[in-house]
Amino acid sequence: MNRIREIKSERAGDAYYEVRHSSGLKILIYPKPKNSSSYAIFGTKYGSIDNCFRTSPGGEPQKVPNGIAHYLEHKLFESAEGDAFARFAKTGASANAYTSFDMTCFLFSCTANVYQSLEILLDFVQSPYFTEQTVQKEQGIIGQEIRMYDDDPQWRVLFNLLGALYHTHPVKIDIAGTTDSIAKITPELLYRCYRTFYNLNNMVLCIAGNVEPDRVLQVCDKMLKPADPSYHVERIFEPEPEHIVKARAEQKMAVAVPLFELGFKESCASGRATTQQIAETDILLEALASDASPLFRRLLDAGLINEASFGHEYFEGPGFASVIFSGESRDPEAAADEIKKAIASVRAEGFDRDTFERAKRAVYGRNIAALNNVGCIANSLVALEFAGRELFSYIDAVAQASVDDVLGRLEVQLRPQYSSLSVIRPKQPAP
Amino acid sequence: MTGIEQRSVCDGVNFRSVRDSRFKTVRMSIHFLLPLEKQSAPSNAILPFLLTRASRKYPDLTQLNRHLAGLYGAQLDADVQKMGDVQVLSVSASGIADRYSLHGESVSAELSRLLCSIVFDPPFEEGMFPRAGFEQEKRQMLEQIDSEFNDKRLYAMRRCEEILCDGEPYGIGRFGSREDVRALKRESLTQAWNRMIHHARAEIMVLGDCDPEPVYSDFFAAFHNLGRTETVPCETRTVRSAQKVRDVSETMDVAQCKLVLGFRTGCAEPDEAVPACKLFSALYGGTPSSKLFLNVREKLSLCYYCGSLYHPLKGILFVQSGVERRNIDRAKDEILRQLEEIKKGNFTPSELEAAKLSLCNSYRTLSDSLDGLEAWYLSQTFSHPVRPPEEEAALVQTVTGDEVRKIAGGVTLDTVYRLTGSGVKPQ
Repeated sequence: MNRIREIKSERAGDAYYEVRHSSGLKILIYPKPKNSSSYAIFGTKYGSIDNCFRTSPGGEPQKVPNGIAHYLEHKLFESAEGDAFARFAKTGASANAYTSFDMTCFLFSCTANVYQSLEILLDFVQSPYFTEQTVQKEQGIIGQEIRMYDDDPQWRVLFNLLGALYHTHPVKIDIAGTTDSIAKITPELLYRCYRTFYNLNNMVLCIAGNVEPDRVLQVCDKMLKPADPSYHVERIFEPEPEHIVKARAEQKMAVAVPLFELGFKESCASGRATTQQIAETDILLEALASDASPLFRRLLDAGLINEASFGHEYFEGPGFASVIFSGESRDPEAAADEIKKAIASVRAEGFDRDTFERAKRAVYGRNIAALNNVGCIANSLVALEFAGRELFSYIDAVAQASVDDVLGRLEVQLRPQYSSLSVIRPKQPAP
Repeated sequence: MTGIEQRSVCDGVNFRSVRDSRFKTVRMSIHFLLPLEKQSAPSNAILPFLLTRASRKYPDLTQLNRHLAGLYGAQLDADVQKMGDVQVLSVSASGIADRYSLHGESVSAELSRLLCSIVFDPPFEEGMFPRAGFEQEKRQMLEQIDSEFNDKRLYAMRRCEEILCDGEPYGIGRFGSREDVRALKRESLTQAWNRMIHHARAEIMVLGDCDPEPVYSDFFAAFHNLGRTETVPCETRTVRSAQKVRDVSETMDVAQCKLVLGFRTGCAEPDEAVPACKLFSALYGGTPSSKLFLNVREKLSLCYYCGSLYHPLKGILFVQSGVERRNIDRAKDEILRQLEEIKKGNFTPSELEAAKLSLCNSYRTLSDSLDGLEAWYLSQTFSHPVRPPEEEAALVQTVTGDEVRKIAGGVTLDTVYRLTGSGVKPQ
């Protein structure tokens, strides 16, 4: 029996359905009947950081090669009958997939044949097929994907930062692994990881767009295979110290302008951040570093950043959380100093009522705007579900945040003694 | 189906609007079109960036940005792009629909006023854009050019474009050359701004959940106050086929080599065969079931990406891939072999159907986003009549395999560009 609950937002004027399917799968359906397109994601709470786990209580820890979650994502597109892209080619849906630190998502967007495409999505993700030969073939393709990222300064500056912040947490390991680590991947290992993490109890299906909930559920009833009830997974992470590894990381690459990321590590002993904490952090960062902030203006006037590249994010997941400021800068050290000075000043003086109100409105407006887009909605719903958060309560939390709570985040966030600066510098002067 | 309304503001200025309450936002923009020329490119390109940083009422950048943040994170954006041999200078304002404001403010009315004010009444000092803002925008333009060098895939693409269209306006970068940007003088910009508002063709778009009438009135008044005279014509030159193959290799310290092939397709807007050429590109390298993806990537495992990109306004097509140095020639040979296959008609009805479905899917998706609608209607600037994306999809549906084969027969290789590294992983 499927259990269905409607989740409504007065503020957004929207609603979606949360279904606990009898197979064990959580299903989220966000209808947008006037839309031309629909967007569906079938995701599992399994990413690059899940490289050590137990499959039974007290069982042996199993360590698997780095990059295997991403490798598995690639290989699931193939089955005994051919590849999933060929099947989507017949419905016209545009299909894709991605692997992040803590999840793997398979998705399509379409303007016709949505239920047929949904059948294909549910079918291929539930039908693993790996042989020596097909696994071997992927080495060349993923090898080139890794090489592409080796040349990507924005990717390198992030992973150099994570290496400087984290001692043991696998978030510091490249999502795709290395050419050496993926060489160790076998069909047996892929099957083992598949059985461990692609259990419907560990997965979610989100679909947003021009769909009827009843018809979505009919397809689910037909396609979902009952999940193994003995399912057990325990992710094993070595304890991560509170302090950082090193305050600086630097690499030289073929770039014309230096890039930096300045990260502030947080303690994650209490698990994932709550909806309210995320909302408060977003407002705090908006007030501190948006293009309306004094910090932004000082950096710009001093020629230390440019508007096209400067940004900030709250980088948060299982066992890791950091605020990261990033951008291109002729003088990354000076930019980092300015940012730290601005943080110290907010810590000492707080900010005025107007600054707070403006920041709150800006964060609220952007989140309302994001609800135009079915891709944004579906991706957010999946990520929030795995983090134990909810979309509309996040928007409410933004609208209701108080200045004291927002400033209260500084007790655990943006602490200068837990910060690292990662820099990519040009190998030679620009041409 | 997306209902679009079109009207003229005055000679050379068009106004288009799509009003639809399913969007939670509004987006209004003005796009000025001028011929892409080496001399004027940088002074034109800096204008949208200068205009979006200050208004008469909010002459200071931080004041203006605070005002926008208070309007629920509304945004003023500047953009410069090439459409064929035309330089497009865009200024846009976007924000949430009025019904979402928490205290009853009308975001859209304010954005309309703001957009007109920044475009037509910049806060000049002594008849010029203020010095500090000019210096800052010039620096940022130089950094944007440098930033393209940081992205090797983009950089290789730009280099191939430059070589392919050497001597044609399209060979000029969207900002002009780095040297010319560096040499920009503040004194020349008032004239460039005057030329833009008085003589550039302009396309205004108002999209989303707002009444377009007040926006139309604001722009109507602004343009009629100007008293525009003639509009500078914009044309794109199309080279129909390549004479000989240009072969350029450059080296850089990179882990992965980039290969970009530039082709002349012999087909450009407003040719009737353009939909057939779009379909050809989808079949050749536009989807995960295309010839290039299935053969260069899946069958030979040579790369992670290998795809084609067709520019209908210019009639050129690029194929790009990232490969190991030792595999560059194998990849190039396979890319060209797959073109020969299509020339010979070696594709199945289901391959053709898949390409059609994929292309139509992307057209039909456009009407779900304001950015998508804006980009589509802007690309239709030189089309008569202007077609909604759904109509373009219907046209693609009617293309036959024979028409695709004929298009392929007219595609000639013009430029081979390789960016090669040492093949050693950088430390």
